Amino acid sequence: MSVLQQRPDVSEFRRRFKWLALFQLLCFGVLVGRLFQLQLVQAEDYQAIARENIVRRVTLATTRGIIRDRFGKPLAASRPAYNLYVTPKRVTQVDKEGQPPVMTPVWAKLVAYLNLGDEEVGRLEQKLVAIVAEGGKRKDQQILLKEDISFDDVAVLSTHAHELPGIDVVDVSVRFYPQKSVGAHALGYMREVDPEMLAEMRRQGYVEGDHVGASGIERSWESYLRGTRGWEKVIVDARGARRPMRPGIIDGPSRVDPIPGRDLRLSLDADVQAAIERAMRGELAGGAALVDVESGQILGLVSKPGYDPNQLSGGSGKGVVRDAFQRMFSDQLKPALDKTVSGAYPPGSTWKPFTALAALEKGLIDKNVRTVCRGFLTFGKRVFKCTQAHGSCDLHRAIAASCNVYFYQLVATYGVTMDMIAEVGGRYGFGRRTGIGINAEASGRMPTKAWMTLRNKGQFRQGYTVNAAIGQGATTVTVLQLALAYAALANGGTLYQPQIVQAVETAGGDVVQEFQPRVRRKTNLDPKFRTLVHQALLSGVTEIGGTAYQTWRQLGVDVAGKTGTAQVSHKATGSADLERVYYFNRDHAWFAGYAPTTKPEVAVVVLIEHGGGGSKHAAPVALNIVRAWEDLKRKRAGERPRPLEVTP
Amino acid sequence: MMRGGLAGRPRDHFDWPLFIAAALIAVLGVVNLYSATSVYLGTSRAALAEIYINQVYWLAIGGVAGAVVAAIDYRHIERFAYVIYTLGVFSLIVVAVLARDVRGAARWINIGSFSFQPSEFMKLCLVIAVAKYLHDDPRSEPRTLKDMAIPAVLVAVPTALVVRQPDLGTGIIMTLVFGAIVALTRMRRSSVLIFVVSMAVILPVAWQYALPYQRARLTSFLNPTADLTGIGYHAHHARVAIGNGGLLGQGFTQGMQNQYRFLPDQYSDFPFPVFAEEWGFVGSMVLIGLYAFLVLWSVRIAARARDRFGAVLAVGCGAVIFWHAIFNLGMAAGVLPVVGITLPLFSYGGSSVTTVLLAVALLMNVSMRRNATFSPVERL
Repeated sequence: MSVLQQRPDVSEFRRRFKWLALFQLLCFGVLVGRLFQLQLVQAEDYQAIARENIVRRVTLATTRGIIRDRFGKPLAASRPAYNLYVTPKRVTQVDKEGQPPVMTPVWAKLVAYLNLGDEEVGRLEQKLVAIVAEGGKRKDQQILLKEDISFDDVAVLSTHAHELPGIDVVDVSVRFYPQKSVGAHALGYMREVDPEMLAEMRRQGYVEGDHVGASGIERSWESYLRGTRGWEKVIVDARGARRPMRPGIIDGPSRVDPIPGRDLRLSLDADVQAAIERAMRGELAGGAALVDVESGQILGLVSKPGYDPNQLSGGSGKGVVRDAFQRMFSDQLKPALDKTVSGAYPPGSTWKPFTALAALEKGLIDKNVRTVCRGFLTFGKRVFKCTQAHGSCDLHRAIAASCNVYFYQLVATYGVTMDMIAEVGGRYGFGRRTGIGINAEASGRMPTKAWMTLRNKGQFRQGYTVNAAIGQGATTVTVLQLALAYAALANGGTLYQPQIVQAVETAGGDVVQEFQPRVRRKTNLDPKFRTLVHQALLSGVTEIGGTAYQTWRQLGVDVAGKTGTAQVSHKATGSADLERVYYFNRDHAWFAGYAPTTKPEVAVVVLIEHGGGGSKHAAPVALNIVRAWEDLKRKRAGERPRPLEVTP
Repeated sequence: MMRGGLAGRPRDHFDWPLFIAAALIAVLGVVNLYSATSVYLGTSRAALAEIYINQVYWLAIGGVAGAVVAAIDYRHIERFAYVIYTLGVFSLIVVAVLARDVRGAARWINIGSFSFQPSEFMKLCLVIAVAKYLHDDPRSEPRTLKDMAIPAVLVAVPTALVVRQPDLGTGIIMTLVFGAIVALTRMRRSSVLIFVVSMAVILPVAWQYALPYQRARLTSFLNPTADLTGIGYHAHHARVAIGNGGLLGQGFTQGMQNQYRFLPDQYSDFPFPVFAEEWGFVGSMVLIGLYAFLVLWSVRIAARARDRFGAVLAVGCGAVIFWHAIFNLGMAAGVLPVVGITLPLFSYGGSSVTTVLLAVALLMNVSMRRNATFSPVERL
């Protein structure tokens, strides 16, 4: 048979079959060994990796604490906001190979639902197409399309969500200040952490995109307000889509609840704040403070010009934030500066009670000492001016009618020295920070003889003291310092530490910590001298010839106080912008006082920057504030004040 | 003269072990394909969840084609061996000229909605052609390199064509299948030495001409944890899936790596990790056992073949299955670099399934027509 004839041909292969088989067996053996290693020896390692693959730790957001006024009215809260995200790849398609991508019908629908303008649509389309064409990872990631879209838009988009794959509405929390610009400086605003800040703050748990308090209470009390994030472990697939939980995947706890931030109850009274804002309506720049004389609690603290912290805090988008910052820092009136705490100004005539106290306490004068004012005093080679020729003045009239010559004479004739004034000033808290604990507090300046000598290259002139006696020269004070010092005059000599946060509360309303009034020091105010100064301050408002009398006659409030007109160092008038030079060369207008006069409860200080005369410009504002405060007090006496309900 | 033989004797020799081993692998393959693509249920790619049905169709078509091939005495195939080979090479040239680009590689010929991959079938054409050459060239003396020049050219032409596509995997398979056949011949020792030395020179040069993605795969294999999100992603997640299977596996359709969609190409190039994760070490052993059996059985068929053509054909077809299985399992298990090589009867694809079934049919053909009275196995 032919078959049998062919057999010997196969002999060439015969001895090699078994080597071939052996080799193949060996290869399978290697595989078996490898699978033994993977599936038996290292199984636990790979099972752990497989579990890790599908577990994601998702951060759970916390809510920032609410800041309320003394009656529970919210001053800063968080409101829900909605950001619109789009995944570029899912709203674009490539029609032809090599052609740039085009938008899908989904995008057209979105544009229609949101009524986007042509220009905006064009810009967004260009951006999305560019991202897709670039081909990187970003095309699959959500891109922020619009921040803080309206509730109407959210409603429309959620109704049509199924038609809009790749379009996502993400709810975020935005800081919200219902009082807008009122009291903005005290409350502060929020800002997004920048990379430099993050480098230090990451340890405290901040991440990209977080907002932190940028100024005011928001900044100082950040650690109380911010709360603690929680997290939750969830199951996701390779594409990041959520999947149902499986038992046995997660070791240990699967969730840690977020802890909401602490709420703050302030000493501020939102109505007083609004009243101050109203009273200062006509003024460009300045500051005002209303302080409880028996505790140092701040009822009102307003700085002008203000700003809307809502815009700065990012609720309306990054563009708005940028614009708002631009405006804030390009404005010559310095809206960013808290003029009640961070700005120091010469106190002008509001300083006179303290010079008087220096003279009285040293026994250099008594109430009957009189000087004659001809409208100026020549001292050394210089002529020191008065506002008018007051004629014969005693202490009472010198304060009430604000006679400078009387105070010049205290230095020139009666021997009041720089250090005497500084000593009294120091006792009333000048030249040192009050310790309010918000914003960058200015300490002001309470110059001593030694300091003045040093500053003037070793020369001290008595003229410095003459200036210091009427609150000019090197002496500067802050609005808050002055308010607390007048509060000490009003309450008989107790200088309080200012207090703006009364209590820390949990989100549930339990008080965590309540802050008691803290006495900074006793000023050793002799009751006799207090009566003298008080009567003079009262006359300054309520008697003919008093500097604030004209205003008082119109408003009729029960207040004692002192006006002040602080000269500013003049700017060159040669500048092109005459209007601006005129404004900035005007004096600062002051009013400092307290009310009611019989048993003082609040101290009020108003500073109008470059306002001109104190009696014309600061006194009306201050008296209006006191009047509003009286009205509120009367209204509240009728109905017991109760905290308002806060909607979260 | 063989008409009568075909009608009677081969039927008595129906190779049940070969048939059962192939059938078992095919059944497991379909079951595994169902699980692998079940992740697409309820997604925008839900159609993919139904491809296991297509796979059954392909098995049926391949089975019918295989039955026809097994029924024709392979000596008729021998007679047309070079014609078959020429048709195969021609179809590769057609691909090179016409084929549309499918995922970066032109491998397909489209006829209407039907597309097939000539390079798959070419492997068998190649085996047939080389078998024919060796059949016609019996030697009693050891062969020299020059003696193997013609079969080497027979291999080099289609290999060059598929590598150009670029389909490096198929090129490697073709070369290695040829290697298995050459290993069967008696070569002169000096020739073997010259061959080994020249390879040591040529391979580094070839490396210079490899495409960037081919190089990247190899370097990634040598340093597997370097880039887990990029080129190393496939290998990493395949390894995790296999390891996650443990001893007994996570159960049918319960493999986490697959269900959570960490396994790419799980129905084409990486069906084994799905299987290994669901059925564990035990299941993997069963599958590897089946492949090993099939491959060793093919050597047995070769050893008992009636003639040189049959023997080389059986070794070649066995080698096709062997190298596919070893490369695919090896790359899944991380002992070989990732190259696109399918797992016989497990990977989805008409050309692949049909080719493997035809290889089995050729084995069956040789086995059925073995010389019962003159068993070479006794001499093994």
